[in-house]
Amino acid sequence: MRSSARLVIWFTMLLAWPVVAQQLCAEQPVDFQSQVAPLIVEHCIRCHSAGIDKGDISLATAEDLVSGGHVVPGEPENSYLLDLISVAEDQTADMPKEGPPLSVAQVELIRRWIAEGAKWPENLVLREKSRADETWWAFQSLAEVQPPAVASLPEAWSHNPVDRFIYAELAKRNLSPSRPASRRELIRRLSFDLHGLPPGPDDVSAFVSDTDPDAYIKLVDRMLASPRYGERYARHWLDIAHYADTHGFERDQRRNNAWRYRDYVISSLNSDKPYDRFLQEQIAGDVLWDSDEALVATGFLAAGPWDFVGQVEARSDVLRRSARALDLDDMVTQVITSTMAMTVNCARCHDHKLDPITQQEYYQLWAVFAGVNRGDRKLGESKLNELQARRSQIRTEIDRLSPGLDLADIVGGGDGRGRGKVGAGLDPRTGKPSSGPMGYLSDIQVNTFAASENRFVDGVFVPQSTKDQAGISISSTGLVLAQLTGADGKAWDAIRNGPVNSQHSPILSEVDFTANGQRLLGLHANAGITFDLAEVRKELGKPLLRLTTQVGYFGHLNESSFADARVLLDGQVAAEFLKLKRADGLQDVDLAIPESVRFLTLLSTDGGNGIGMDQIGFGNLRIKSDEASQSEEQRQRLRELQQDKAELDSQIAAIGTSKVYSIVPVESPPEVRVLRRGDPESQVGEPLAPGGLSALGMLNCDFGTTDMPEGERRAALARWITDPGNPLTSRVIVNRLWHWHFGQGIVDTPSDFGYGGGRPSHPELLDWLAAELRRQNGSLKAMHRLILSSAAYQQSSLASPENPALQSDSDNRLLWRQNAHRIEAEAIRDAVLSVSGKLNLQAGGPGFEDFQYQEAYAPIYTYITADKPELWRRSVYRYIVRTTPDQFLATLDCPDPANMTPARLTTTTPLQSLALYNNAFMLQQAQYFADRLVSEVGDEPPKQVQRAFLLAFGRLPATQEEQLAVRFIEQEGLFAFCRSVFNANEFVYVD
Amino acid sequence: MNRRDFLQAAGGGLGGLALSTMLMEGGLASTHHPARARRVIQIFCPGGLSHLDTFDYKPELQRRAGQPFDPDGTLQFFASKPGNCQPSHWPFQQHGESGLWMSDLFPKLSTCVDDMAFIYSMQSKTALHGPACFMMNTGFTLPGFPSMGAWVTYGLGSEAENLPAFVVLPDPRGLPPGGIINWGAGFLPAVHQATTFNTSAGTQPIADLFPPEEYANASSDRAGLDFLQQLNRLHHEERPANNELEARIHAYEMAARLQVSAPEVTDLSGESQAIHELYNIEHPEIGPFGRQCLQARRLAERGVRFVQLYCGAENTTAKKIRPNWDSHEDLVRDHGYWGAVLDAGASALLKDLKSRGMLDDTLVICTTEFGRQPGAQGKEGKGRDHNAGAFTAWMAGGGIRGGVGYGATDDLGFAAVEHPSYCYDLHATALQLLGLDHTRLTYYHNGIQRRLTDVHGHVIEEILA
Repeated sequence: MRSSARLVIWFTMLLAWPVVAQQLCAEQPVDFQSQVAPLIVEHCIRCHSAGIDKGDISLATAEDLVSGGHVVPGEPENSYLLDLISVAEDQTADMPKEGPPLSVAQVELIRRWIAEGAKWPENLVLREKSRADETWWAFQSLAEVQPPAVASLPEAWSHNPVDRFIYAELAKRNLSPSRPASRRELIRRLSFDLHGLPPGPDDVSAFVSDTDPDAYIKLVDRMLASPRYGERYARHWLDIAHYADTHGFERDQRRNNAWRYRDYVISSLNSDKPYDRFLQEQIAGDVLWDSDEALVATGFLAAGPWDFVGQVEARSDVLRRSARALDLDDMVTQVITSTMAMTVNCARCHDHKLDPITQQEYYQLWAVFAGVNRGDRKLGESKLNELQARRSQIRTEIDRLSPGLDLADIVGGGDGRGRGKVGAGLDPRTGKPSSGPMGYLSDIQVNTFAASENRFVDGVFVPQSTKDQAGISISSTGLVLAQLTGADGKAWDAIRNGPVNSQHSPILSEVDFTANGQRLLGLHANAGITFDLAEVRKELGKPLLRLTTQVGYFGHLNESSFADARVLLDGQVAAEFLKLKRADGLQDVDLAIPESVRFLTLLSTDGGNGIGMDQIGFGNLRIKSDEASQSEEQRQRLRELQQDKAELDSQIAAIGTSKVYSIVPVESPPEVRVLRRGDPESQVGEPLAPGGLSALGMLNCDFGTTDMPEGERRAALARWITDPGNPLTSRVIVNRLWHWHFGQGIVDTPSDFGYGGGRPSHPELLDWLAAELRRQNGSLKAMHRLILSSAAYQQSSLASPENPALQSDSDNRLLWRQNAHRIEAEAIRDAVLSVSGKLNLQAGGPGFEDFQYQEAYAPIYTYITADKPELWRRSVYRYIVRTTPDQFLATLDCPDPANMTPARLTTTTPLQSLALYNNAFMLQQAQYFADRLVSEVGDEPPKQVQRAFLLAFGRLPATQEEQLAVRFIEQEGLFAFCRSVFNANEFVYVD
Repeated sequence: MNRRDFLQAAGGGLGGLALSTMLMEGGLASTHHPARARRVIQIFCPGGLSHLDTFDYKPELQRRAGQPFDPDGTLQFFASKPGNCQPSHWPFQQHGESGLWMSDLFPKLSTCVDDMAFIYSMQSKTALHGPACFMMNTGFTLPGFPSMGAWVTYGLGSEAENLPAFVVLPDPRGLPPGGIINWGAGFLPAVHQATTFNTSAGTQPIADLFPPEEYANASSDRAGLDFLQQLNRLHHEERPANNELEARIHAYEMAARLQVSAPEVTDLSGESQAIHELYNIEHPEIGPFGRQCLQARRLAERGVRFVQLYCGAENTTAKKIRPNWDSHEDLVRDHGYWGAVLDAGASALLKDLKSRGMLDDTLVICTTEFGRQPGAQGKEGKGRDHNAGAFTAWMAGGGIRGGVGYGATDDLGFAAVEHPSYCYDLHATALQLLGLDHTRLTYYHNGIQRRLTDVHGHVIEEILA
């Protein structure tokens, strides 16, 4: 897989070399590796190497140099390279463009090397070394850390191991922690942190007056147990997944089934699903587990934007490949940055310049997802398969007790009792027997009935949709099908006893129709066959008949692969399955045929998309006498079986047609190669096997071979990411938790643990927390509880302007206080609804749409004021439109879901002031807030002010505030007061 | 929060002059070298403006008219296989002292050629509207990157005392392909995102500038604001070390100033009759874009750093006339319509800026996301398909040398062959004129010091004055 034949030499750019070159004595031949190579690496490689080759010059290999004509071995005078790097009089050297020129001695050295034949060791490739290598801190296994012993630790800081780490660092810098926050501050902080909502007045007063010494941790536990917790923390995860409910790009169509993934995240967090399982499900749940929940989880991979025009509508393959490249980049980047905080996307065009990630490794990650497309996926598929397989068994048992005539056998030239030849069939053009494979049929007379000599078969025909009055002739007696849609008059192969020619697979819903006891009548579109029931009645000796079969689409699994199947009785549709797909499984047909009916017709048509692979099959197609002359015992057993089957039928029907927008895998993924400069039209090298990052030396980064099946690739990646030995995954999530609780992480770039990101402020604490997550078996709630119960978390956020820490640690990296922060856009909206009393806590289900939707080439989403209860749900349940974001929330810093957002930005702008002060939603809610105050405390302004402060700020007003507010209400009214409260700094800031 | 964070949080646009001066100490809002242009007005023509029918004169295409463009049938365009060679639907003439060619589609704009520099060799990385619009605006085909206006604001701050630094005037018919992400701030702080001005007469220019009518009560608005600020100051007194709270108090005052300045700038009644006529304000079809252009001049006059206006809206399949330049079925119809619109507005803008002496330090840019094909499209051959391989952009004023052309396409206008240029080069050149080195205007995001020009871009010295 990896080209080990090539010797790759990494040099650091920092190697100071030039001095040595000048000291060389002229007699010694120049040594490339120790003398010339360092010069090239220092001065040239950054711009001129594979993938970067500016000016189409690469100095990475000898071939590159010589083939470009820059070096002619033995002829320095003809080597253009020397012209470029030499300093002519009064001029500067052309190269290097960036950085200082080479010294005269260095140029002379290169001249001599060329003169001596420009020897370059075979297979030596020069590469620029990334800034960080595999010794970078983030790639090291978790250190075994004990909380430090700290002299004179205050009692309050001695209970929680987390605090020892924090206190130790503060003590080193002679900084002191801040005082503990008051209970009022704490409950408001906790409530916004864990629920994204303000605390209710009753909760505040209960907590403030609670005498239980464990009141705080009990409050934490209550809040973690509330379903509001999952709604709040899901929003954080959805930021990282850049989730939205439309595709984005030019046409920005709806994804009406995306919400199930959003609900999955919420319920997984609420149920405290172990973190490794949470990740495994999202990457490969459909492969690793047989459940709808795990399938829905893979909505993660499909959460980002997707270019419908580029991937589906564009006819140019170049454009499609380019759109697909963006798609794969998005998937790989999302999975690796969210779980491991490695910016692999930087290695798309060339090796990562900062972190030890090669371009090849980046494309090996592509290979993991090469078979993954985005699309709606049906739920209940595995359950459906299982139920259908059981029903099929019962059906086989029924057939054994009551065999009737096997119509596939008849098509194969038999008598319906097993004497026909498997594989034989009838030509749909002529009705004549056919044994060998036929393929694509020519000379078709469409809609013309051809009589058959077979006793039971009236005849055959090839249908074509027509408006012609003559219609489609389907029997020897002149029965005509007046109208038929979705048939183009083309046909493939014979009507067969068994699979048709080039059958994709005879297995459907876990039933192999080539196995012993199973029968299949293969009917490829477009073809029809009519049986003469008069002859069947003669054979069975009974007038009342019953037809049983299981119809299915036996072509490949694909949203766009389907065909139509119909059963007609005397030309009337008795059963019809339009656009039948493999995913639909087996359709059970059980028809009573009245005595009056003479002709049974089976029809397979293309469904309007041509006859690509339109393989309809009728499994175990039998006609029986309705009341068989069997023993009472047999009849009893039959009745039982029929009952069991009816039960299964209703279970199958109940599964319904629920879907989730997630991933649609293809069975054999296309090949992936390195793309030169990231250009999809410039594939280089051999096909790549899926693999991970070799910088994590403690793990095996080879996932398998180039012919590895699709699902196994993702399963391997999921296992690699969640391997207990992978130090990044657990560090990254505990750092995210820290970031969400403190407003900044121990590493302040939560999705970049590489050289370009921040360095950990408390590396030992980070490793200790990561190890603790493992000790807690991946329980995020246990980690929340641990962090929230720390003294560090419970500190006040206030600082006096004289506090020296404001100078020495202005960014509060050492946590000498808690960080105050403005709440996010969604929390502001939810808090407004909560305080006005209008918040609708309906959880889950399709998102609410606070816009008018207008169908168009590019649909139009026009926002409306959220003025009714169904639009007053929590913001996490919003139907999120990519091209047309909710302007109110966007103004309040709600991020664009085109971006993966590991950390929210907070800005303060006049447009925010205008939105909060004048937006119709805000004003309506202010009115509801006023109405609520009147209904709760009546008309006296002092009481109104007190209640308003409790609801909005979680406290009572100070005397001065109350006086101001009462005077204001008397002058401008309660509505104006409520409007100002919603705009107050205290309303949107948490201490 | 340190001082610079405070200023950034409080900043964005309003109160920007003093602000940008202060920011220079932090090294953010200082120019890298002396600027030639102080502000930008960019006209964006979404849908794919045909260079072949407008700016890029191709006599060889005329000679080959009616011959198959792709005799071997190997090419596949976005939506079609190429038809026969289709010369310009409008005859070309030479204009001005420079003698540059322009088609008769632009009778007015052609009188400005000596002020305009043309880049004939523009290319895009994609022939899809959404990604190509993103690329032209942000340098990336993916959504989520900051637009040029956001970068410029980030780099230079604002000069406008009471207006946002970056204003977008969308086509009144609707948003362009890809929506408002085209002028988003991406990962830059939201203060750098554009403020959208609605230019239709009789509407609020900015969303939520005033309360809806049923809540309108100006005196109560002001009283409520005063009360709010009293509450905020009491709250701040207990938290004196928190500058963000002060910034937010300040933001409400700036919002109040915006309530005065925004209606003032959008009120065109003070403009002379001659100006109204110059911009064709009253014309039912070309008037709306004229209004956008005049609006842009007024914003620039008041120190707005970057104004972007759209000449065309979202793409839809045609009913009567396409709502933008995307002329697949009937180029004469659609380019005929949009050509008249652009011709009147853009020429009025250039002449007006020039007569006021503003063209010297105002950089005007006109771009589209890609060009169109020399082979005809459709059964009747009346349309042209997308062409990412070639299109023309032009610039004027603000340090641009007028009357020059740069780069060239092949004889048929199919692909740029001489000095092929991407948006990176155009962006690098614009930043250069604004005093910014495109390689040094950076912002860290998810592992990379990001640039408007990614890892590319060359300043096109040949078109600089």
